Amino acid sequence: MFLQTLITGLSIGGIYSLMAVGYSLVFSVLNFSNFAHGAVIMLGAYVGLALATRFSLGLGLVLAGSVAGAGIIAVINERLAYSSLRRRKAPSLYLMISAMGCSVFLENMVYATIGSRFYAFPEFFGRQVVNLWGSSLSLLDLSAFLFSILAIWALHLFIGRTKTGIAIRAGVSDMTMCSLMGVDLDRLISVVFLLAGGFAGIAGVFLGIKYLVYPTMGWVTNKAYIAAVIGGLGSLPGALAGGLILGVVETFVSTYVSSVMRDVFSFSLLIAFLVMRPDGLFGRSGEEKV
Amino acid sequence: MRKIFASLCVMTLLAFAGSASGEGIIRIGHTVSLTGGASMWGQSEARALDMLVKKINDAGGVLGRQIEFVRYDNRNDGVESVNVARRLVTDGVVAVIGPAQSGNAIASAPVFERAQIPMVVTTATNPYVTIDQRTDAVRPFAFRPCFIDPFQGTVAARFAITDLEARKGAVLYDVGSDYGQWLARYFEEAFVAKGGEIVAREAFRTEELDYRAQLGKIKELAPDVIFIPTSQKEAAMAAKQARDLGIEAVLLGTDNWGSPDLIELGGSAIDGGYFVNLTDLADPDIQEFVEEYKAAFGEEPVLPNPVMAQDALLMIVDALTRAGSEDGEALAEALANISDLKVTSGVLTVDPADHNPLDKPAVIQQVDVPNATFKFVKKYVSVED
Repeated sequence: MFLQTLITGLSIGGIYSLMAVGYSLVFSVLNFSNFAHGAVIMLGAYVGLALATRFSLGLGLVLAGSVAGAGIIAVINERLAYSSLRRRKAPSLYLMISAMGCSVFLENMVYATIGSRFYAFPEFFGRQVVNLWGSSLSLLDLSAFLFSILAIWALHLFIGRTKTGIAIRAGVSDMTMCSLMGVDLDRLISVVFLLAGGFAGIAGVFLGIKYLVYPTMGWVTNKAYIAAVIGGLGSLPGALAGGLILGVVETFVSTYVSSVMRDVFSFSLLIAFLVMRPDGLFGRSGEEKV
Repeated sequence: MRKIFASLCVMTLLAFAGSASGEGIIRIGHTVSLTGGASMWGQSEARALDMLVKKINDAGGVLGRQIEFVRYDNRNDGVESVNVARRLVTDGVVAVIGPAQSGNAIASAPVFERAQIPMVVTTATNPYVTIDQRTDAVRPFAFRPCFIDPFQGTVAARFAITDLEARKGAVLYDVGSDYGQWLARYFEEAFVAKGGEIVAREAFRTEELDYRAQLGKIKELAPDVIFIPTSQKEAAMAAKQARDLGIEAVLLGTDNWGSPDLIELGGSAIDGGYFVNLTDLADPDIQEFVEEYKAAFGEEPVLPNPVMAQDALLMIVDALTRAGSEDGEALAEALANISDLKVTSGVLTVDPADHNPLDKPAVIQQVDVPNATFKFVKKYVSVED
C-alpha cells in the first residue's frame, strides 16, 4: 500500500511539475503569475485531440502538433493581452488581471464554438499495467512521468547551454540592462511564451489522455500553481520538485487521512509556504532564477 | 429591517406575478441544462418536449388553448437554477417542467412553492425533491414521473447480491453531490441488509479528476463490486483509473451513467459495467417515441430525460384538463391525483402521500463497448420481485 501510494503520488506529481514549469518560466521573466496558462493547456489538449481523432495520428505526432499549437497560442496570447501592458510598464498586478480575463475568455470561446461536451483521446496504450514490486502502474503513467522529466531536463539544458537560453537568463536578472545590451526583448519574451506554451501542449495531451478533454479542464492548474510556489516561483528545479512533493503529499493524505481532506492540505501547504518561505524551496529572491 | 421589508415586497410581487398569464396561451416553464455537463440530456429533453407539444397543439391544445414553453438554461448549476426559477415565476408560467438534477430541483422547489406553481421534475430521483427534509412533509407543489433513489439504490444492491453474487462491496462517490451522497447511503443500507459487507466507502470532491488514491485503498480491500453513483464523466475516469491500478471488481452505476458518450469516454475500461436506468432503448413501451424522435432528428434520443420530460408534460396536460383551470392549487391537487394516465414510458399513477409515481420500473443495463451500446439485462418492477 505504501509503495502503491508513493508511485501514484509521483505519477500525479509528474503532471503537476509539467504544468508548473509554464508558470515558472513566465514568472521568472515577467514577474507575474500567468493564470491563462490553464486555458492554454486546455487548448493544447483540444489541438491534440483534433490531431488524434480527425487525422488519426500517433502519439508522437499528436504531442508534436500540440506543442506547436499551444506554443503559438501562448505567443499570440502574450502579443494581444500582455505586450501593450508590458511596454507601458504597467504593474505586474495588471498583467495578472489581464491573464485571468484571458483564461475566462478562452474557456468561454471553447464553450461557444466547440461546446461543453466531454471528449476522450483514443487509447494509445491500451490498458497495459506494469507491475513494480507488487504495485501497479499503467504504462501511460510511466511514459508520461519519464517524458515529463525528460522534457524538463531538456529545457534545463536549453536554458543553460544555448545563446537564447543565456539571453533568457540575462532577461531574468535585469530586463532593462538586457535590452541595452542589444537583446530584442519582444523576441525574447515570445520565445519564453513559446516554451511555456509548448509545455502546456505536452501537459494538455497527457491530461487529456489520463482524464478527459473539456472546457474547464484547465482548472486543475491551480494545483500546478501551488507546486510552483512550493518549489519557488521562477525556478525550474523548483517546479519539478514542487510538483512531485505536492503529488506525493496529496496522495498520502488521501490514502492515510481522508480523501476529502486532500485539498485542505494542499492549500494549507500553499499558505504555509507563502507565510514562512515565500521564495519556496529553490527560489532565490532577486538572484538568478530559471 | 429595510432589507427584510424589501425582500417581502419582492416575494409578494412574485407571488402575484405567478397568477398572471397571457391571453389564449398556456405558458409552461422549462428549466433545463442546455449547456454545462448535463447538456446532452438537456438538449435531447428540449427536442422531445417540442416534438410532443407540437402534437398536442395541432390536436387543439389544452382547454382550447395552445401551449407555449418558456425555456431557460440552468447550466446544471444550483445558483443558476434558482435564478431561472425566479425568472419563470415572474414570467407567469402555470407549471414548470424540470430541473432534471436532484440538487437543482431541491434548490428550485421552495421558489415555486412560494409562488404556488407546480413543478414536475424529469429525472431528479432524490426523495427530498418531493419531501421537505426539515419537516418531513410532502412539498405541495413538487411532482415527478421517475422512480426515487432509495428504490434505485436497493435495486442496485439487490442486483449485486443476487445476480453478481457479490459479498464485499465498495462505494466511490462525489461528496459535493446530493445525488451521489444519498445513493451511496441507500446502496450501502440495502447491500448490508441483504447480507453483504461494505468494505470501503471513499469519496471525492466535485470537479476532482484523480481518484487513484481512493481506488488504491479500495484495491487493498479487494471488493467484488464497486458502486459508483456518479455521472458518466466521473464513472469513465474512475473506471480507467481502477483498471490502471489492476482492480478487477465489477463496476456498478446508476441512471446518470446512461449517456451514449459513456462508451467513448470510458473505452475498454468501462466495458462490462452494469447500471440502473429509468428506461431502455429496447423497452417495448417507448418504441413509438424512439422511432418518431429518430425520424425527426436523425439520431437516437439521449435517454432517459426525453422520455421523462414527455411524461412530465403529459402529467401537466392531464392535470390542466381535469382541473379545468390554471390555478396553481387546483393544478397541484389534480397532479397529486393522477391515476392510470397513459404516458410515454407506460402508465402512471401518482401517490398522493409523497407525490412519487407508484411501481415505476427500473432496468439494469450492461455497457457493451465493442458494439457501442447498452445491453438490456433485466427489469425490476418493485424491489420485492
